[in-house]
Amino acid sequence: MNERQKHIRNFSIIAHIDHGKSTLADRILEATQTLTKREMEEQVLDNMDLERERGITIKARAVKLDYTAPDGDQYVLNLIDTPGHVDFNYEVSRSLNACEGALLVVDATQGIEAQTLANAYLAVDANLEIVPVINKIDLPSADIQRCRDEIEDIIGIEAQECPAVSAKTGLNIDDVLKAVVDLIPAPDGDEDAPLKALLFDSYYDSYLGVVVYVKIIDGSMKVGDKIKMMSAGQVYDVVDIGTMEPFGLKSTGELKAGEVGYFTASIKSVGDTRIGDTITHVDKPTSEALPGFKAAQPMVYAGIYPADGSRYGDLRDALEKLQLNDAALSFEPETSNALGFGFRCGFLGLLHMEIIEERLEREFNLDLITTAPSVIYKVTKRNGEEVMVDNPSNYPTPDEIEAAYEPLVKASIITPTEYVGGLMDLCQDRRGIFIDMKYIDTTRVELHYKLPLNEIIYDFFDALKSRSRGYASLDYELAEYNKSDLVKLDFLLNGEQVDALSFIVHEEKAYARARRIAEKLKENIPRQLFEVPIQAAIGSKIIARETVKAMRKDVLAKCYGGDITRKKKLLEKQKEGKKKMRQLGSVQVSPEAFMAVLKLDDND
Amino acid sequence: MIDNNFKNEKAPRNLGLYIHIPFCRTKCLYCDFCSFVSRDEQQREAYIGALLREIEARGTKDYSVDTVYFGGGTPSLLSAEQIGRILDEIKESFNVSPDAEITLECNPMTVSDGDEYFKELRALGVNRLSLGVQSAVDEELKLIGRRHSFEDAKETFWAARGAGFENISVDLMLGIPSQTLDSLRASANQVINLAAEHISIYSLQLEEGTPLFRMRERYSLADDDAAADMYELVVKMMKDAGYRHYEISNFARGGRESKHNSKYWRLDEYLGLGLAAHSDFGGKRLENTRDMDRYLGGEWLQAESDISNSEREFEFLMLGFRTADGISKSEFLARFGVDFDEKYGKKVEKFKKLGYFCEKGDALALTERGFEVSNAILTEILDFDY
Repeated sequence: MNERQKHIRNFSIIAHIDHGKSTLADRILEATQTLTKREMEEQVLDNMDLERERGITIKARAVKLDYTAPDGDQYVLNLIDTPGHVDFNYEVSRSLNACEGALLVVDATQGIEAQTLANAYLAVDANLEIVPVINKIDLPSADIQRCRDEIEDIIGIEAQECPAVSAKTGLNIDDVLKAVVDLIPAPDGDEDAPLKALLFDSYYDSYLGVVVYVKIIDGSMKVGDKIKMMSAGQVYDVVDIGTMEPFGLKSTGELKAGEVGYFTASIKSVGDTRIGDTITHVDKPTSEALPGFKAAQPMVYAGIYPADGSRYGDLRDALEKLQLNDAALSFEPETSNALGFGFRCGFLGLLHMEIIEERLEREFNLDLITTAPSVIYKVTKRNGEEVMVDNPSNYPTPDEIEAAYEPLVKASIITPTEYVGGLMDLCQDRRGIFIDMKYIDTTRVELHYKLPLNEIIYDFFDALKSRSRGYASLDYELAEYNKSDLVKLDFLLNGEQVDALSFIVHEEKAYARARRIAEKLKENIPRQLFEVPIQAAIGSKIIARETVKAMRKDVLAKCYGGDITRKKKLLEKQKEGKKKMRQLGSVQVSPEAFMAVLKLDDND
Repeated sequence: MIDNNFKNEKAPRNLGLYIHIPFCRTKCLYCDFCSFVSRDEQQREAYIGALLREIEARGTKDYSVDTVYFGGGTPSLLSAEQIGRILDEIKESFNVSPDAEITLECNPMTVSDGDEYFKELRALGVNRLSLGVQSAVDEELKLIGRRHSFEDAKETFWAARGAGFENISVDLMLGIPSQTLDSLRASANQVINLAAEHISIYSLQLEEGTPLFRMRERYSLADDDAAADMYELVVKMMKDAGYRHYEISNFARGGRESKHNSKYWRLDEYLGLGLAAHSDFGGKRLENTRDMDRYLGGEWLQAESDISNSEREFEFLMLGFRTADGISKSEFLARFGVDFDEKYGKKVEKFKKLGYFCEKGDALALTERGFEVSNAILTEILDFDY
């Protein structure tokens, strides 16, 4: 290995949400003088507003830092940020593959959480050197020793000597940088070998086109090179190449083995770049491609409609723009008789869905109606056909179905022991299959369950938090499809089916859910000029029923003398309110009421 | 431009006059009308002076004034002499028809020497009184800030009768805090026992900016169902007592429907004089200033707007459907050149099936049930893009 490579360290920071990953990243930027305190905007790496607000990183980001070690040696540190949430596991692993090591941040007051473990295992799978960093030691409830013991017992890596810091106050940050240099290996790789580069991220920039993030494994790459994406097959000319500095891209003309950086090559859409793909030269290709990753598959689907039907085109444009930078987001047009024109969208998980909704509303100023989220069901029909169903409207009728299958996830829950009973009841209630239970120490337990994904997307996370006073943490991964007694539950208002309200549910749960939603509809549908029967049905069988009584009073019984304008204004105001209403068959419902019915709460 | 009196091209056009008297002894807790607690006689005199100037300035002999309505505020705070001066100026500036309906709004207890006062009013030509009774339950009267008991209201009523008033209207209020169906039944019975010619029932409306609105959390106010129960109860009691429910809020017997208020519902012309008074005159809607200083300075008009044909059409339906007689389709065609059924028939049909409209030959009207939800129906059928 040459001197240049010996002074490169490529690393990620991984952590459970809220354990201080972004704050630590800020301090590292500060400590390397990459940014002075005054220049620094809080949490530079998370540069989407939404990320900053939620304190999570949605898309991977990378930045190059210059570090002078205490012995005077100059190092290049490439910090590759990763998302912390279970929905984005896939993005975590692709970023980790560009690194030789990872800092595993653990909150000294909380200890190991479900996502700490999940992320640590991803790092182990990627053969990374894991350096634990115990954070938040300034807090009175910090228990550093317990944390060290836990890391050794559970993850099995040495932690007695690991840095213990406060990212908030900056205490002991130098220990972290020293550990990065001392413990994380330099990238090996032969800079004279044919080019082999890992494509680990990309984003769309309206001026530059697609910007591709790469790590050069072997060889080198420079402006003007004719390159080939080995799995996608396309060939491009490198237009610009360089490194990611804290304030933006910096052209260097060339990247060599062990280095992390970006290039542009007039690529039109992120869809043309496959994360995990291997990049090589057209002239002198590498003989062996990297193993590559499986593409991220949406697990959760929902219909998204503009509250104002005339903004359908705006919604389509907005989704297209978001998709430029988020290949995991899928959408296709769908029509609902209740909600009009909209899109069936696929998401990695519930958080991903919430983030997309929020970005649509905030960045594109759209009011949305979102239907209840659904998973993908597999149905084998009596005629031998097998169909995948991501929209309840397309669910076959009961007499067509031979067998139905639903996705299960393997869930890991870490919780203080006192909440174990309640959480086991919860998992039981959500049709969970117990796998095992492990004591982390005397006070905390790790539970493993197989759970139907459609139970998890139905407010499981909120229930978990409320039954553990916020202490339990959850991680899950898709496991398998299981045969299940599923039914499609439909709702009828005034005898007309409202397609947007239909959903698939396990037979055992159907009655309770039907009753609850019928009650919610009754609470939220304004009284109309006629009585509105609400019915919940499986096929043609009515299983729950409510009635919204007819409106009885809506009259101006007051004398305003000759002041006609007041009467007129009152009616006009009322008419304005009605314009926002959605017509569900013969029934008028406000978008808010519709959302209230779909909103899942703890009592459901 | 619409000819408001298209039916009688030859005869002189009729006109109603509304005279606003914006003074009250105290302000009721629910009131958001333009009224002031009267401070002194001097201020009232100044106002009357300004009012007389406005009457003189806007006077016209082109019309036959067939109704005069003193509203407020509390017009009965004025002395008979003051009322007399106003009426004299009106007769000076307008042609007042000899059989004009002349109404004065009156609150119990504001009449110091009731018998004498009412006799003087009669002598001046006032022939109709509208008396704010509101409730026969004293506790309810206190809660809405009325400063009289039901006993006071009865005394005032009989004093007016004794002075020869043969056309008296009584106001009754629904939805007062603490009011129940039983207490309302008691109030309605008491009011019926007065045997007034005309009864108005109003629902208490919580208007922003009123003290009662601020206090709303403290009281349990009737919800829509309870309010509907109350309305239905009163409607039935009034009908059983021989009153005709001729408008959403109004009942009359013996042909004593309010001629003045009927002008509002039929889009007939009226001129509003005084602070904050509204007019529908010469094809325009006019609004007087609400600023007392400006008014006293002789600047009465604040806004005027032309009413387009289609807006008239909107108003015609909005107001016409407040009455039991409803609208006449042939009159609609004659006024607006629009075939009612062609434009609205389909929507109306739907509500007819639900029992909200009834049709008698040329006339289309809301039913009793239709009255109760008339806002919801009007927002469905009217054309708001006028």
